[in-house]
Amino acid sequence: MMIPVRCFTCGNVVGEHWDEFKARAREGDEDPAEVLDDLGVERHCCRRMMVSHKDLVDVVAPYQ
Amino acid sequence: MAEDFEVEFIERDDRKARFLVRGMTPAVANGIRRAMIADVPTFSVDTVRFVENSSVMFDEMIGLRLGLVPLTTDLGDFEEGDVVTLALDVEGPATAYSGDIETSDGLVQPADQNVPIIELKEGQRLELEADAVLGRGKEHAKHQGGVAVGYRHLHRVEVVGDANEFDEQEPNILRGVIEEQAAEHAADEGAQNGDLVPTEAFDNDLAKRYPGKEVEVHDVPGAFVFHVETDGSFTVEELVRRAVESISDRAAELEEKIAI
Repeated sequence: MMIPVRCFTCGNVVGEHWDEFKARAREGDEDPAEVLDDLGVERHCCRRMMVSHKDLVDVVAPYQ
Repeated sequence: MAEDFEVEFIERDDRKARFLVRGMTPAVANGIRRAMIADVPTFSVDTVRFVENSSVMFDEMIGLRLGLVPLTTDLGDFEEGDVVTLALDVEGPATAYSGDIETSDGLVQPADQNVPIIELKEGQRLELEADAVLGRGKEHAKHQGGVAVGYRHLHRVEVVGDANEFDEQEPNILRGVIEEQAAEHAADEGAQNGDLVPTEAFDNDLAKRYPGKEVEVHDVPGAFVFHVETDGSFTVEELVRRAVESISDRAAELEEKIAI
């Protein structure tokens, strides 16, 4: 629904970088790998949190 | 056990560091690693009182997210079990960020300001009061200050001969830190024996560091390279110092209790 606050595997705080990642890699046209390197999200456990995330707030909002 | 450890930093940042410790046994190294994870207390939201929550998430889910937000912890001024009250009040349309959390004590603040808690739509509102408690990683993982804490042996690479010059040289991957012992064979001109080289410097590939050579990798006895990261509650230095302190306190307590 919302980006998890921390990486499930290592506990690093990944939520901090979501807004920038979304703006640059999802909505922008930068390479996600380069954006993640830039943000300092190095380990592949933390990177998959960002790459595989889908925001669902807009989807469930009408059913509240 | 009165010998001193020799500590040398390889990489040093506020939240991330790598350092080499010499003269240590694996038992002590692992003890320190475990103390960093489970024995250094940090503040974390424990109880949440909701005044209003009309967002798309349940109270419990928001409580969980709040618990995971790292809070700055000054261990000199607080004791385990201390409580600090936080408050959050956001009205949609807006996103509630960790930076919107108000605190009753300036020393305890969200370490990161941009963690989204919940996105609020038109007419939705989140108002809550939360108690942050100083607890240990032993009790709950949200109190862990150390993230991805680990150690490796320091490696020593020995050049044992030349590779067959007609063979395609295969990559020889090694991760960690090497202590240079064969500088005359290294691809890097400025290399000197005794240098500490992180393997990232040569793409984690010994074939690139020692081209055309046959190598053997050995562990340096009693030398450990720690990799420590924190979630932002405190600096790496503070984390390591407190972890070592907690071990030595417990060792002293044990010594005192068994002395007749």
